Amino acid sequence: MSDQQSWVKIERELDAPIEDVWAMWTDPELFKSWYGPMGMSVPAAEMDVVVGGTRKVCMEMTSPERKMSMWFTGVYKEVWKPSRLVYTESMCTEDGTIISPQSMGMPEGTPDITEVIIELKEVDGKTVMTMAHVGVPEGSAGEGGWKQAFDKLAELLAAQE
Amino acid sequence: MTESEQLDATFAALANPTRRALLARLVRGEATVNALAEPFDMTLPAVSRHIRVLEKAGLVTRGKDAQFRPCKLNAEPLRVVANWADQYRDIWEDRFDVMASVLKSMKEKP
Repeated sequence: MSDQQSWVKIERELDAPIEDVWAMWTDPELFKSWYGPMGMSVPAAEMDVVVGGTRKVCMEMTSPERKMSMWFTGVYKEVWKPSRLVYTESMCTEDGTIISPQSMGMPEGTPDITEVIIELKEVDGKTVMTMAHVGVPEGSAGEGGWKQAFDKLAELLAAQE
Repeated sequence: MTESEQLDATFAALANPTRRALLARLVRGEATVNALAEPFDMTLPAVSRHIRVLEKAGLVTRGKDAQFRPCKLNAEPLRVVANWADQYRDIWEDRFDVMASVLKSMKEKP
């Protein structure tokens, strides 16, 4: 993870056993129950939770004017029940063909593949969950891109404060 | 520029080590093109081209002084990028709020 830039990193303490929190991420029905906030729903979730297994999730936004569906696919890279889960995420079409975020109206520089890393730890019957959503620089190595841009950005903003 | 175009321009401008070095120098205060070019093993026109890219992206403004026209950092476009990244944080925070309440209801009726 050291060569990647944390995009979002969140730590939460949840008042639940670690197995239940693990199930939130790995049981499609449970996953659907929380993954779509703010007017979004998750009508479909397929998960083959083994290393190398694929996942496919549909998110749907319904407004009075229209219904918009977005599909995401990815691969499980690490599955250490119940303490660590790593999967990739890309936008895709309904049949699972990966599409570029730009074609969906996302800004230039949005990485094609992101990675979600979840770590769970049980502390006194509660579960501490850490989630990192990171951009995977395209082709990595060399200049150009996500990581450097964000490193610099953080530096510049810090200097401006 | 729309916010999306601004993001494109900012990312493009930042995706170059020379331009990032120029911005890092400008964080310390305004400077003329000559002063900015000094540490680089690069011709003055080449450095000027990089500065023009930063200017077009709105990251650098030039002073009025006709002779020197010092360059100054404008951090506003960087904030647009930061806000954009923050949206993703908000989405995850909202999701985890829902997750916590689902877990709570599971606990209440086992």
